[in-house]
Amino acid sequence: MKTVWARMFCRLLVALMIWTPYQFATAGMIGTEQVVTASSAQADRALVTSFLNRGDVAQQLQSLGLSSKAAQDRVASLTDQEVQQLAGKIQSLPAGASDGADIAVAILIIAAIAVVVWYLWKRM
Amino acid sequence: MVSLETHVIKNARAIASVFLLSCAALIQGCASWTPQTKALAESRPEGVPGAHELTEVPFFAQSDYQCGPASLAMVMVAAGVKTTPDELVPEVYLPERKGSLQVEMLAAPRRHGLVTYELAPNYAALIREIAAGTPVILLQNLGIKEGWHYAVAIGYDWDNGMLQLRSGGNERQELPFAMNEMAWRRSGYWAMVAMPPDRIPATAEEARWLSAIAALERTGQAAPARTAYRAFLERWPSNVNAAIGLANSHYALGDLRAAEQVLRDAAQRAPDSDIVLNNLAQVLADQGRAAEALPIIDRAAAVGGSHADAVGQTRSEILKKLNR
Repeated sequence: MKTVWARMFCRLLVALMIWTPYQFATAGMIGTEQVVTASSAQADRALVTSFLNRGDVAQQLQSLGLSSKAAQDRVASLTDQEVQQLAGKIQSLPAGASDGADIAVAILIIAAIAVVVWYLWKRM
Repeated sequence: MVSLETHVIKNARAIASVFLLSCAALIQGCASWTPQTKALAESRPEGVPGAHELTEVPFFAQSDYQCGPASLAMVMVAAGVKTTPDELVPEVYLPERKGSLQVEMLAAPRRHGLVTYELAPNYAALIREIAAGTPVILLQNLGIKEGWHYAVAIGYDWDNGMLQLRSGGNERQELPFAMNEMAWRRSGYWAMVAMPPDRIPATAEEARWLSAIAALERTGQAAPARTAYRAFLERWPSNVNAAIGLANSHYALGDLRAAEQVLRDAAQRAPDSDIVLNNLAQVLADQGRAAEALPIIDRAAAVGGSHADAVGQTRSEILKKLNR
């Protein structure tokens, strides 16, 4: 390796390859995802952007409690569009968690009010 | 001194009337709170029975914050994948967010060979999928704290306006359509299904379903992707992109002959597709038939489309093989 920069660049390329989608890895064949999503002359640029976004999202997932490997695996399952949706918004997007008991509580409250009203009405 | 009790009882009539009037106003206004229920009530989706319940969908009670893994486990087992909520926690749960993101709910089943699909955001789609035998994961907001919650819709009774869900610790929760809508509309009516690769959602739209299969393929699951592309082509036989996908799956599984056959058929339907021609040339070259591949790659090069670089590379490789 000639220079420090060349070495760093190579390391970056190797790191980015973790997210090479499976189809692209089959040399010579044009992958299906390229076909169904981007078909413009900027396809190459979109590819690089996608790699960088994936790196960002993986880092954010790590900061939210995932191991590095888990973050990479999970990002690898996302489409480019899905990665795009996440980038920069992981903290604010909905994260389903509640246990559903709350809707039952809401129903009970309404039923209770109805009973009270009925009772009061009867008393008159 | 008049006690509060006396005060209330003396004015009970007045208080009750105000309350009832407000309720009436609310109920009037409710229709605009639940526009889709109104539309649904006016017409039952075409071709679906009055009621249908998927009783065989298993129930997994969720533990704290883990309605995501629990909901996924239910629909994935229903789709034929053996799994449990605990196994899915590391695939969708985010510790610091204490919950699961929607795109990760869509992504996780792919690693198990299923195709996931986000439904069109309306009640009719939900009903039609259940009628076709597919349980649906909904994202609701229950309005308390953060409130986001995934539940699995497993049945409906249109005649009585009720939806049946597996939700939280509740194996069978029955809700009026309107009540569910109030919670569901806050997610933009978000809903998803997870399909075994040989089945297509009842409400699948051609282009979006193709993207869904490509998303599965991207995770390297060539065998289920192949099954899914085949099923796709049975339904939409003239879709060239699906043929490309099927050929790519054959190729990834090492079946070059099958890939060649699919691509030849596709080239007849789409003689100017540089992708079809490129991939066909590649498949021929890989079978040691570079001489046959050359005129085909030349045709691809002549198209001069957005994949010119890839085509050029393929062509150089073929020329190398021919020692030219």
